[in-house]
Amino acid sequence: MIPSSQYLRKHLRRTVPHSRVLTSPAQLTGYASDGLGYKSFLPDAVVIPADAEELIKVILALKGIPICMRGAGTSLSGGPVAAQGGVVIHTSRLRAIRRICPEGFWCEVECGVNLDQLDQALAPYGLCYPPDPSSGQVCTIGGNVASNAGGAHCFRYGVTGNYVLGVEVVLPDGTLHCFGGPAGGRGRWREDWKKLMVGSEGTLGAFTRFWLRLTPRAEKAWTFSATYASLEATERAVHGLVRHPAFPVAIELMDPRAVALVESSPMAMGLPENRFMIVTEIDGPADLVDLRAESVAEVLRSAGSTDVQFGDNPEDRKNLFRARKAIGGLLGQMSPDYVVQDAVIPKRALAEILRLIYDESDRAGLPVVTVMHAGDGNLHPNFVFDSGKPEELEKIEVISKKLMKQVIAVGGTLSGEHGIGNDKCDYMGMVFGPEALRLQLSVPMIFNPSHAFNPLKVFPERRFVP
Amino acid sequence: MSVLTEERLFEPFIDATDGVLCLPAGSDEAEIERLAGLHGLRFPLLHDRGAPLCDQVAASPFAPASSRFGPYCDNITGMNWELPDGRRVRIGERVVKSTTGYDLLRFLLGTVGRYGRPVDYVLRLRPACEESQTFFLRGDPVLLREAAAGILRTSWIHWFDSVDVLEGGEFSSLLRVAVNCPAEECDAYLGFLSGIAARHGLSLDQSPGLPMDGCPDLVIKTSPEVLPDIVQLLSGEYGAKCVGLCYCGVVHVFLPGQNPDSICRIAQALEPGLHAVGGDWSSRHVMPVNPDSPETEWIGKLKKEWNLP
Repeated sequence: MIPSSQYLRKHLRRTVPHSRVLTSPAQLTGYASDGLGYKSFLPDAVVIPADAEELIKVILALKGIPICMRGAGTSLSGGPVAAQGGVVIHTSRLRAIRRICPEGFWCEVECGVNLDQLDQALAPYGLCYPPDPSSGQVCTIGGNVASNAGGAHCFRYGVTGNYVLGVEVVLPDGTLHCFGGPAGGRGRWREDWKKLMVGSEGTLGAFTRFWLRLTPRAEKAWTFSATYASLEATERAVHGLVRHPAFPVAIELMDPRAVALVESSPMAMGLPENRFMIVTEIDGPADLVDLRAESVAEVLRSAGSTDVQFGDNPEDRKNLFRARKAIGGLLGQMSPDYVVQDAVIPKRALAEILRLIYDESDRAGLPVVTVMHAGDGNLHPNFVFDSGKPEELEKIEVISKKLMKQVIAVGGTLSGEHGIGNDKCDYMGMVFGPEALRLQLSVPMIFNPSHAFNPLKVFPERRFVP
Repeated sequence: MSVLTEERLFEPFIDATDGVLCLPAGSDEAEIERLAGLHGLRFPLLHDRGAPLCDQVAASPFAPASSRFGPYCDNITGMNWELPDGRRVRIGERVVKSTTGYDLLRFLLGTVGRYGRPVDYVLRLRPACEESQTFFLRGDPVLLREAAAGILRTSWIHWFDSVDVLEGGEFSSLLRVAVNCPAEECDAYLGFLSGIAARHGLSLDQSPGLPMDGCPDLVIKTSPEVLPDIVQLLSGEYGAKCVGLCYCGVVHVFLPGQNPDSICRIAQALEPGLHAVGGDWSSRHVMPVNPDSPETEWIGKLKKEWNLP
């Protein structure tokens, strides 16, 4: 039994000043959902600790109550929401960039730092932190580590987990531990526990601080766009690019509906109708990328495109990626709700799976807009619907299940960068056999056996029992 | 509730489009190169010609080409894992990106036999370019250190298979840079490295092929800014032959003829400094020390859940 909001307010205000304990319905509504807007869970209270020390006190004070850690709330899988009620702990005050070590290519940041803030701080050193989810302007490093976030440029640079050198975490018993540090090793531990922490979706503890690996900024980038009339030609282009020795940093695919959305927005670029579009990029030292640009364009042409465009103008590049990243927001024009899937497939199955998506969407009468980190095989079909119509919600669930089944059948997996949250829990049995599932479920038993942290996420079996 | 399925173990395969290869964990360099090479691909993280891949992974989480491609755990996407009682489980995926469940793959890859052993690996392959060259810069150690820092600060670092400082043993001080590139790009690489050599008053020569140092006896993980000092200490004070992977902050230490006790003593002398920065050491000759509380408790819980002795 979770105590009432009034009780929680009184109880928490012994630990945290009252302005940082939220309990009124109007305040709580803002924390009821994440980017998966149609599934909402009103928390019983929200608390905003000032620092790690206060966070520990809050966690100790909330013994026996479900806790959900939350950064910017931009997750797309129903992760940072109080699915079993309880208290949301918002990390917005832990926003310090504590140290940048340019000689060692690392930085130390608090969990509430957002990606753009970090990027601006790193720019004067000629360094960057490569993961770049579309929500970079607001999303936090804490949320990124929790969901092992990716982004457009992960094809070559890798995802968040490739850059986490160390994690400071408060475990449910209130103890604070550092796993790793600037060196990125195990530290004083025998096992490398940070490997389990990354991508654990807030189910093992509360992150407070990270040490992140940095890398020199690319001196120059060439960005390419090309359109194709057919899925097969698009797939050929992707296959050609992933094998190219220029190692593109990003290979992005936008389907005709995604292109149309961009064209109906202020970011319109005069793109042709009814075409699949590929945006790709190479970067590195000018002496190298200048040598490679023409051969990348040739790969795009040889797959059948007659409108390959490429250039090294940073402003054009920015516009192109801004348009690609804005698609999630533009979907709001089409329908009150959307659900985006995040499956990863072998790239030989690209046309097959996209066709399945379109067929199922047509059959259900629900439009789908697909973008894809094609280099990684990471699909993002956005099904638009109205959650106020139960029959549409039901159709979405049927399509999602069919899609996931086929994704697994071709050798893919449920999620590439969004995490499982409460959105994809029910499909986990498709991925893990009984023994593998047992090993998976053993991980929270080490650190969070009562599932007080973020219950009903990742695996449906993870229900909090006081 | 989830719908349970059967264990989905990996079967051997190669997918040239995705650049993934599944093969026994005991495969050696020749077998991996043969299978990948048929498709113009390579697995760049090999550091010993004769040793089975699983032994190479156990010897060090990093290979010289980790500078460019990351550690083994970023280049092994999945595996069939055998628990001590013989049960086999699939861990990880055949696709290169996954946030489906807890990352047992990366956790187990670093545990070297304590919770079972790898039976098969799924390897991420990369395009193999026709030219493989290793460049050597020689000269004053201080200038070599500056040259290494200069290379690391540029975006060229993403394009060198490795940038390593070599000290001790039969090495005089030198900086080693390995390149795998298309033939038409060779001049650009040479031009950059010649410029670095000229700026720092170093000599530059090259030999064909990529470095293959063998399995190290001791591996030190530290942060890149302190790596040169550790290399100097190990080579100077202990006479060790060291290969410092500059960008990774990893030192591969070769101590031929040393027994496990003396390797342990060398490592323990460095331990406080390493732990202070979240670093560590490991050696294929030395059993890891017993964990302290609370780690003992965590390991106990894990073993209980997994029915391990």
